[in-house]
Amino acid sequence: MNPGILGNIGLVLAVFFSVAGLVAVVFSWFLRDARYVRVARRSALLAFLGTFVAFGALEWALLTDDFSILYTARNHTSASPTWVKFATLWAALEGSILLWAMLQTLYTWLAGRKMRDYWTSPVALGALFVIQLFFLVNVLFVINPFTPVPNPPADGPGPNPLLQNHWMMAVHPILMYLGFVGLSVPFAYAVAAMVTRRYQTWVSETKWWLIFAWGFLTAAIFAGGWWSYEVLGWGGYWAWDPVENASFIPWLLATAFVHTAMVQERRGLFRSWNFALVTLAFAGTVFGTFLTRSGVIESVHAFAGGPVGPIFLGFLLVILAVGFSLLGRVSSEVRDVGSVNVWSREGLLLFGALVFVVMAFVVILGTLFPLLVEAFNGAKVSVGAPFFNQLFVPLGYAMLVLMALGPLLPWRRAEGETLRVLAWMAVSLVLGTAAGLALGWTLWVSLTVGLFLFNLVALGWLIASPIARKSRALGGVRAGMGSLAWTRRRYGGYLVHFAVALSALAIAFSQSYRLDVQKTLQIGESWQVAGRTITVHALRAVEDPHRYSVIADVEISGMGTRQPRLNYYPTSRTPFASPSVAYTLGKDYYLVLQAFDQENAQWVTLRLVVTPLVLWLWVSAVLMALGTAMILWPARRAARAAAAGEVGA
Amino acid sequence: MRTKYLIGFLIIVAAIAYLAFGGLGNSLVYYVLPSEYAENPARYEGKRIRLGGLVKEGSIRYDPQTLELDFVVTDGVVDIPVQHEGTPPELFKDNQGVVVEGRFDGKVFKGENLLIKHSETYQAPPEGGYTPEEVRKLIEEAK
Repeated sequence: MNPGILGNIGLVLAVFFSVAGLVAVVFSWFLRDARYVRVARRSALLAFLGTFVAFGALEWALLTDDFSILYTARNHTSASPTWVKFATLWAALEGSILLWAMLQTLYTWLAGRKMRDYWTSPVALGALFVIQLFFLVNVLFVINPFTPVPNPPADGPGPNPLLQNHWMMAVHPILMYLGFVGLSVPFAYAVAAMVTRRYQTWVSETKWWLIFAWGFLTAAIFAGGWWSYEVLGWGGYWAWDPVENASFIPWLLATAFVHTAMVQERRGLFRSWNFALVTLAFAGTVFGTFLTRSGVIESVHAFAGGPVGPIFLGFLLVILAVGFSLLGRVSSEVRDVGSVNVWSREGLLLFGALVFVVMAFVVILGTLFPLLVEAFNGAKVSVGAPFFNQLFVPLGYAMLVLMALGPLLPWRRAEGETLRVLAWMAVSLVLGTAAGLALGWTLWVSLTVGLFLFNLVALGWLIASPIARKSRALGGVRAGMGSLAWTRRRYGGYLVHFAVALSALAIAFSQSYRLDVQKTLQIGESWQVAGRTITVHALRAVEDPHRYSVIADVEISGMGTRQPRLNYYPTSRTPFASPSVAYTLGKDYYLVLQAFDQENAQWVTLRLVVTPLVLWLWVSAVLMALGTAMILWPARRAARAAAAGEVGA
Repeated sequence: MRTKYLIGFLIIVAAIAYLAFGGLGNSLVYYVLPSEYAENPARYEGKRIRLGGLVKEGSIRYDPQTLELDFVVTDGVVDIPVQHEGTPPELFKDNQGVVVEGRFDGKVFKGENLLIKHSETYQAPPEGGYTPEEVRKLIEEAK
């Protein structure tokens, strides 16, 4: 037995049990026999175990430096540290699609266990089996990482150095795939809802999965931004690179869906809109993979091409065709009954969702525009950050206004009492903006400060007024606070909103007030810059088994000694700069070793990027994760009953 | 119900119009070779462009103390002097394919971002120099 054989056995078993599960759900659908659904659930577990075996086999090959299979021969080196060896599984195309397939089978199994409705579950499970078969067949037949290598090399080239440069690269892809794959569950439920013509309940049944996937997608995007900040050496966290856009498009669409799903759950509106959005969000995850794996888009970190691009494009078209043809078939039945008052929670949720959809459209347009222009007149163009910024600034302000107002307004129609707090919010907006302008900040930054306060007042009122009401009713603040545990999900949502407002503030300041300077310093020389003294103490070299590093010891006054470095990997002719970041609550000091005197080690060229409030972006990411966890955490039974009572009343 | 769709439709139309007439036109960055620029310099006046070409042999002047980097980008037909501030990338050398992002300031191109386009297989320049087509191909095939 060797890893190659074991991996292929695992994959074949996974394909076999996926097909078996698919056959079982077809039987259960046509024979109307729920027992077959149980068979399908068991097949889903076995299919997951099959992919898990394949995953284990690839890890086995990586950890034991077995170069007899294609994946390790191309992407692995025995010189890597153990954590890099482990993470090499998702450092290249074949392995990352295997990971995707494994997570897909895991979701299919877990989602199948929760399916209670014997009418819709055969279809939903069937859709998930088809999706996982797509990935499994690809891994087995098109991009099989276990393909034997005729003459195994003694060692391989190792993974892309950029991916070895930071531990976050071991975490970020897993978060991303958990998010991407998670969106398949709401999509499968939506397909089942449209096929079985049960248009209402799927939204509440998949809400948990949707928010779970959304949380991971959010975490993955922030993790990717932080990786970019820590590794790429340009002092920024977001470059509108196609790979970043590929993750942002499904996030925007899923965010829109999270909000309109609430309206459907509560008021039964926007049903066709939700079917369309969930299809687009799931298609967005495949679109992203197509973009980054096909080579159609030039990107700093696009993977090599191959047959995967066209295959994913085909899969994308199938998803869109299935989603929209089903929707077309049932569209006359899902038309909304009743109207939407714009000045109500559902009205604002709809506007908010529209903002997110327009944002997604802008990102898709900006990403694909170079292709359109080239097809049209042959000119080679690129769409830079200014394009995206120009459109995202106004859209972002619209979002900040809507997200403060939405939770504040009651369903159906706003009335006198809730409108009163709006006056306070307007005052805080004006005062915040005026204060910002008085401090000499730009209009855009000042407006963001004002909108941050606008959100803060709204959230403060949302939290304080029920406590006050309950305290009055129950006689005592403690009793009032105690009642809050019952509505933890709502407070999770508020926390996410607060974190979004906080990140808007961090983005506005960090994008507007950035100092980026370079200077060549002799060893021992000091540099007065940005209110600090920067002194280069030494330049030294360190040799590791998998790389060679040149390190400068640089002291920033009051912040200790920093070690920006250049890492040389044997597979790359160019060094990779590894910046050193001094994080503070106010400004980050970001040092990059740009160049050094290769003959006499007498001087170094340093780049210093000073950016305000970047740290708060990472803080807001943590708060968003906490808020999402609060929403997802299962409610206690008493709380659930109370919540049900509240809905009933 | 109709009004809901109408509002959504209007927002999207407005967004597209804004993109087409206001947004995209000014933020597109054209990619040109020196001889393409020479054909119609007025078209690129004051605009942000990406200038592709080879580093002309013997044209590199770099002072690590002041970080001033001057060189000439050529496609075998037209030469354009480039001024850039900052450390040259590791593989920056004569006859190297480069893409410089920046703007023209009179006859001189002020570079803001310098990218190396190196192909895996190094070839000595052909006898008599490159033609613009060869340069374009060289840069596009590189990573």
